[in-house]
Amino acid sequence: MSEEYDVEFVEREEREARFLVRGISPGFANGIRRAMVADVPTMAIDTVRFIENSSVMFDEQLALRLGLVPLTTPPEGEFGEDDTVTLSIDVEGPATAYSGDLVSEDDLVQPADENVPIIELKEDQRLEAEADAVLDRGKDHAKHQGGVAIGYRHLQRVEVVGDLPEFEEQESRIVRGVIEDDGELVPTSEFDHDLSNRYPGKEVEVEDVPNAFVFHVETDGSLDVEELVTRAADSIESRATELEEAVQL
Amino acid sequence: MMVPVRCFTCGNVVGEHWEEFDERANEGDEDPQEVLDDLGVDRYCCRRMLVSHTDLVDVVSPYQ
Repeated sequence: MSEEYDVEFVEREEREARFLVRGISPGFANGIRRAMVADVPTMAIDTVRFIENSSVMFDEQLALRLGLVPLTTPPEGEFGEDDTVTLSIDVEGPATAYSGDLVSEDDLVQPADENVPIIELKEDQRLEAEADAVLDRGKDHAKHQGGVAIGYRHLQRVEVVGDLPEFEEQESRIVRGVIEDDGELVPTSEFDHDLSNRYPGKEVEVEDVPNAFVFHVETDGSLDVEELVTRAADSIESRATELEEAVQL
Repeated sequence: MMVPVRCFTCGNVVGEHWEEFDERANEGDEDPQEVLDDLGVDRYCCRRMLVSHTDLVDVVSPYQ
């Protein structure tokens, strides 16, 4: 039942990527985007038990800060929606408690960023707490959002249609995203988003390539980009299957 | 009080860059724009989180 899609990476790093998908409808592209934002479960701290908190911030403020720290999400199938992982933190002032001070009982669930300051502790202040992390979706709380600032644009095709008249000043022509020039994919940042830099003295025409979308995906560190996109696609598939089964006679 | 962990608008983790930003741009004399570019904080929603933040722990702590 699965269909093949043509996917091509333009830029690829662990936490940020840009890739081109051909042959999908705008609706499906948006479906993938929404699934990446709201439907991929990630780990985040949900309940905090304070043993001692003599810092300048209230328990609930610290609990929110702890919740927002991204945690690495274990491979699919390792954890269910109801499982919890306990992390503990114990820092005595004068010092700053960092997300890296969280000690996890499970190696698979660790703070993805270690340098996030939780609270600055002065002399005689102490923070000791236990926190339970759970697996949940971006739909329920933004702290479970694996994807950050995800978007897509049409791939744009640029064609040179002729030369500019000799004495005419060329106007700048701003495009953003990725352009296709003779089958070659070029991010617009390469020429400062201005087509007049890339094609000096030429007259160009820009048009959207139908059903080709360039996604820009960034993650908060809880998953890498590839994992996030595949899990998003899987979640669409499982929901589609669920719907199919539900409406069958 | 403490620097927000994430950007309010996009959810990117900005808290981890605060100490370096503070040291270089607020305490030091580097250009905040260059420091932010260097730290990889690209979007203006995330940039304003660091630029406009003031640490208040030192102000509040005497009243504990």
